[in-house]
Amino acid sequence: MNKLREKVRNLLKEGKVAGYVGYMMRDSHPLPHFFTKERLEEVDQAIAAPDNARYPLDKLLQQVASRYPEETFAIQVRGCDERGLNELYKWGQLDPEKVVLVGVACNQAQADYCECPGPWTSVIDYGEKCQPVMKSRRVAQIEALGEEEAFKEWLGAFQKCIKCYGCRDVCPMCFCKECSLEHPELMSTGLVPPDTIFQLVRAIHMAGRCIDCGLCEENCPADIPLRVLYKKANEIVKDLFGYEMGVPESGPSPWKMLGEESTLETKPM
Amino acid sequence: MAPAQVIGISGNPGNFSVKVRQQARYIDMAKCIACGLCAEKCPKKVPDEYNLGLAKRKAVFLDYAQAIPPKFAIDKEACLFFKKGGKCKACEKFCPTGAVDFSQVDEEKDVSVGAVIMATGFKPYDPAKYEAYHYANFPNVVTGLEFERILAAAGPFSGHLVRPSDHKEPTRIAWLQCVGSRDVNHCDNSYCSAVCCMYAIKEAIIAKEHSHDPLDAAIFFMDIRTHGKEFEKYFWRARDEFGVRFIRSRIHTIDAVPGTDDIAIRYLTEDGGLKTENFDMLVLSNGFEVSPQVLELAKTLGVEVNADKFAETSSFTPVSTSKPGVYVCGAFQGPKDIPQSVMEASAAAAASSELLSPARFSLARKKPVFEERDVSQETPRIGVFVCHCGINIASVVDVEAVRDYAKTLPFVEHVENSLFACSQDTQGLIKDRIREHQLNRVVVASCTPRTHEPTFQETIKEAGLNKYLFQMANIRDQGSWVHANVPEAATQRAKDQVRMAVASAALQPPLQEFDLPVTKAGLVIGGGVAGMEAALGLAGQGYKVSLVEKKDFLGGHALKLNNTWNGEVVQPYVEELVKKVNHNPLIEVYLNSEVSGVEGFVGNFKTMVNTQGRENLVEHGAAIIAMGGHSYKPKEYLYQENPRVLLSLEMDQALREKNPMVTGAQSAAFIQCVGSREPERPYCSRVCCTHSVESALKLKELNPGMDVYVLYRDLRTYGLRENLYKEAREKGVIFIRFSLDDKPQVQQNAKGELTVTVRDHVLGIPVNLHPDVLTLASAIIVKDQEKLAKLFKVPLTSDGFFLEAHMKLRPVDFATEGVFVAGLAHYPKPMDEAIAQAKAAAARASVVLAQDAIRAGGVVAKIDEAACSGCQACVGVCPFGAINYKEREDVCEVNQALCKGCGTCAANCPSECITLFGFSHKQIYTQVDEALAELEDMEEAAG
Amino acid sequence: MPDTNFEPKIIGFFCNWCTYAGADLAGVSRLQYPPNIRVIRVMCSGTVSPHHVLRAFQKGADGVLIGGCHIGDCHYLRGNFMTIKRMRFLQDLLKFTGCEPGRLHLEWISAAEGPKFAETVRNFTEKIRKLGPSRLKLAVRAA
Repeated sequence: MNKLREKVRNLLKEGKVAGYVGYMMRDSHPLPHFFTKERLEEVDQAIAAPDNARYPLDKLLQQVASRYPEETFAIQVRGCDERGLNELYKWGQLDPEKVVLVGVACNQAQADYCECPGPWTSVIDYGEKCQPVMKSRRVAQIEALGEEEAFKEWLGAFQKCIKCYGCRDVCPMCFCKECSLEHPELMSTGLVPPDTIFQLVRAIHMAGRCIDCGLCEENCPADIPLRVLYKKANEIVKDLFGYEMGVPESGPSPWKMLGEESTLETKPM
Repeated sequence: MAPAQVIGISGNPGNFSVKVRQQARYIDMAKCIACGLCAEKCPKKVPDEYNLGLAKRKAVFLDYAQAIPPKFAIDKEACLFFKKGGKCKACEKFCPTGAVDFSQVDEEKDVSVGAVIMATGFKPYDPAKYEAYHYANFPNVVTGLEFERILAAAGPFSGHLVRPSDHKEPTRIAWLQCVGSRDVNHCDNSYCSAVCCMYAIKEAIIAKEHSHDPLDAAIFFMDIRTHGKEFEKYFWRARDEFGVRFIRSRIHTIDAVPGTDDIAIRYLTEDGGLKTENFDMLVLSNGFEVSPQVLELAKTLGVEVNADKFAETSSFTPVSTSKPGVYVCGAFQGPKDIPQSVMEASAAAAASSELLSPARFSLARKKPVFEERDVSQETPRIGVFVCHCGINIASVVDVEAVRDYAKTLPFVEHVENSLFACSQDTQGLIKDRIREHQLNRVVVASCTPRTHEPTFQETIKEAGLNKYLFQMANIRDQGSWVHANVPEAATQRAKDQVRMAVASAALQPPLQEFDLPVTKAGLVIGGGVAGMEAALGLAGQGYKVSLVEKKDFLGGHALKLNNTWNGEVVQPYVEELVKKVNHNPLIEVYLNSEVSGVEGFVGNFKTMVNTQGRENLVEHGAAIIAMGGHSYKPKEYLYQENPRVLLSLEMDQALREKNPMVTGAQSAAFIQCVGSREPERPYCSRVCCTHSVESALKLKELNPGMDVYVLYRDLRTYGLRENLYKEAREKGVIFIRFSLDDKPQVQQNAKGELTVTVRDHVLGIPVNLHPDVLTLASAIIVKDQEKLAKLFKVPLTSDGFFLEAHMKLRPVDFATEGVFVAGLAHYPKPMDEAIAQAKAAAARASVVLAQDAIRAGGVVAKIDEAACSGCQACVGVCPFGAINYKEREDVCEVNQALCKGCGTCAANCPSECITLFGFSHKQIYTQVDEALAELEDMEEAAG
Repeated sequence: MPDTNFEPKIIGFFCNWCTYAGADLAGVSRLQYPPNIRVIRVMCSGTVSPHHVLRAFQKGADGVLIGGCHIGDCHYLRGNFMTIKRMRFLQDLLKFTGCEPGRLHLEWISAAEGPKFAETVRNFTEKIRKLGPSRLKLAVRAA
């Protein structure tokens, strides 16, 4: 923890960043906190978020950055958060030149729980690399079902939806000013549960963009296994287009470019 | 004026009178609606020329489905009325519009024109002339074009790959190259037809894709000539991925396999053995000929032809015939493929319009302007017109019921049936009804919007409505005609489509079109032959041109060339060209200059030209990129290690300067494909084979006793250049083939004498040559094109050449409007082709510059900036680079002058904040809902 | 129990330049195909978003057929590059969620391919008829 605090303190002291989006223990709760040079002493209270303390810091950073577009900020990231930043850079929502990472590697229990394929960051200031989970068991379980069974599973889940938009509101990747889920022409209004296609529409938006942080699922009052849906959406994008979400080397998102040639073939009827 | 023939010409360039014989169609073009009833009822069947006799057509017919104009004609030679003296007339009886007119006669007309372009095409060589092909007596021996028809979805077998004799699916097909080409023994065509290698490879690949069983495709060839852009890679893919067999051999005999319809081919293998293989089909890759009718026409027009019967032209004026004012393009100029033909077509248009530029627009008529009623505050008042189309719709669909149903729909104020909605009378009636009922939207339920939408739009415009306040429901082509046996269901579908159209029309806002001014000036980048010809082409049409050249002189690589392939001397031409450019008051030349910044778009570019650090702003409406190429400097074959080793252009210089090393040589060798057709440069440089053969002939001329060797992989003297290859062989130049995995070895001794070792492909043993001079035919490459590509937002191929909008159909355009390409920057090419392409680029650019304004708006996309989150998903998916990201506002914006209205961005926007006018999300959702609404109602009613 | 009276409702999104023209050609050639399809003309198959398709399924379509130009022949050069990306993705997503991906079909049909158009619509309608009413539609109706 000292290494992390030292780094943050130096960044603030030397004026390299205008603030640090991180965590602090308050009333024995680990909560997100915005650290500044003016209250440098707070850095002594800065912590790496424990496993169960998970907030959409990327989203907070977007808010701060849009208010102070000229400033550079530091942010505490886990593997998923960093993927999120990389994706947000690609989608023009953050400037990579104005972000400094304070990296935290997740422990094995957390990685296993998340089925995380990359539970560490490019710079690690706290924690140690553990084993990634390359194949999601939860996805495989659905895939093992027959199509009709799978439909029943999903339909059952979708019908529990109370249309609170919690999944969207917590999502660090949902940056749209207008949301398709609230387009009256696309989505029927005044219905609970919403149209059956509600979660499918969101899955389309998440494909190749979901950073697999799992906050949507944790936030969902109806326990819809959203994370499984989006994990699969990412997998499809990877299989079809070779695009790996959150990886800078993967180039621009397939949804953001035509490509010079098209090699996909139509499916036979 | 089809069908018609030119039968005479008089007058002078700029003022010809052409006598045309227009043949009677026996169909009134103004009345024919191309419904096809006549052909359906016609009792007389004859072989269909379009399908090369593989299928039948009727005596009254449409040439082919996409024929322009889409009007039928009666074939007098086949029609029973004409043959049987006044009987039959079935077509006349059934024609719903009374378009059949047996009283028509051929007419002769005099047409006043300023210039004539001959685009008369070619006639495929008829292999029946030479018995050994057995084309006439073996049904499964077909020509390349016949095979095209067999593969075509609209062809005689609906695209099912079957052979003609028994409609069996073939599993073994052979292609035989150079049928009627490169062959003076069995025909008089010594030239190469230039396209057959590619079409055979294409047919082999498509046949393999079409075939249910694994198909053995074998191509028997002499040299594979894939010298076009991206062709070499295609050839490799055919061989390596699709497993097409390429067999280098001339065929010995073609026989029937007794008791079957199969074909036995006996051929000599490369090592000299005789082999027999059986095939289900044999495709003869037949070449090009000039037809006797075209030769007759050439005579009529006074156009001279060369020994191969193609139009005589010079490399420096490739589309000008011997007769001033008469131009030529396409296969009558010489055998060539589609891209080259299209380039020449534009070049011929450029040449004509240079000649005629003083008369531009003198015959143009201005369209009348109609006052537009502002309906933006009105609730929709929709008129629905349901067409009978004679009996075409009404005999199947209950048009009265559709009309009555339409009356029940929201916002519909008026409904009406009409016998022919497209007739003059009904157009007038629609205008009246718009006024009577204060209609502000019109829906016509009839045929397809693809043909008649513009007609109706024009009509409602004349009645004071914005032309976009219109929708069509297609209840004929996609209704009565395709559901003829289920009238009730057809009627139901018609009602649904009308309901969808009405709902969409109600949501349709008036769309504005506006004019953007055009800067009537061009920018040409590159001062080589292509750049200078392009600049002169534009100046010749009266436009100002800025010509930007990186070096401190004009002329480029042409300054280093001695001759064109057919012997014309290059230097005087280039000197003259430079002089013309320098003396043209409309052309401003920027030497030592580069483009450093580009702003704006078609019609309105603002470009920074940097001349040795000084920046000049150039305003222009169009740009032509002709920045040229370079020769590859090899790292092999002792180049730059031994003075006897030269590149092709250095050989030209040595010949020009009578370098004693060359003039005194007793032996000379050429190595082809140096740096070309290699994995790291997978393209053919197109010009090197001809260049080496030409230089070899020069050496033989210098010293007939000199031993001259050309070491090659495939000799690619395409088109009429083949004659040079023939001459070279006749004069004793020795051609030795090698393969990529067994390239020649070049060594030198202490005295600097060279030894070239190559494996002789006939004898199979290594041969040592001791040339006094060795010429390397090195690749043509391009450098530093990325910067310009970025500035003009145009793409490059993986080999670094500029990538045009469409490889075949738009060979000088980019997807980005107002930017064009010519010369080596596009692909390696000889001078005549570079000139043609430069002229083509000038023609295409002048299409932009000739306009007083660029019409923008209409069906285009617009971004709702308030909802845009600046993610730029739209920017990257626009095929036309029409969307900009505005950094300060953090939103994207569509340039409506560049937008073509495809809607790819609208579907891509995660917020759906992009609207494609006329096809808005709301309109699409509404149509979906309406299409399915009936269903919901029915199900509700049924509980 | 299979519904013998089942008449599939099919939505067709066809691009103006190729598939819609191919459909017209099928008409000119009088090629017959089942009348279950309702056609929405779009300028380019790239105009069709997965949302449009999902809306159709939500509203009770038993099948959605999208037609565009062959790759390389797009009137807008590369608009259809996006079409195939979107629809291949959507098909896989529908499969994972058990939503019968076969009800969404993409076919490249050129303006000259009238017979291919008629055959595609025939085969697709038959396929959907065999599949019966869409699972998603039944679920929506039951809700």
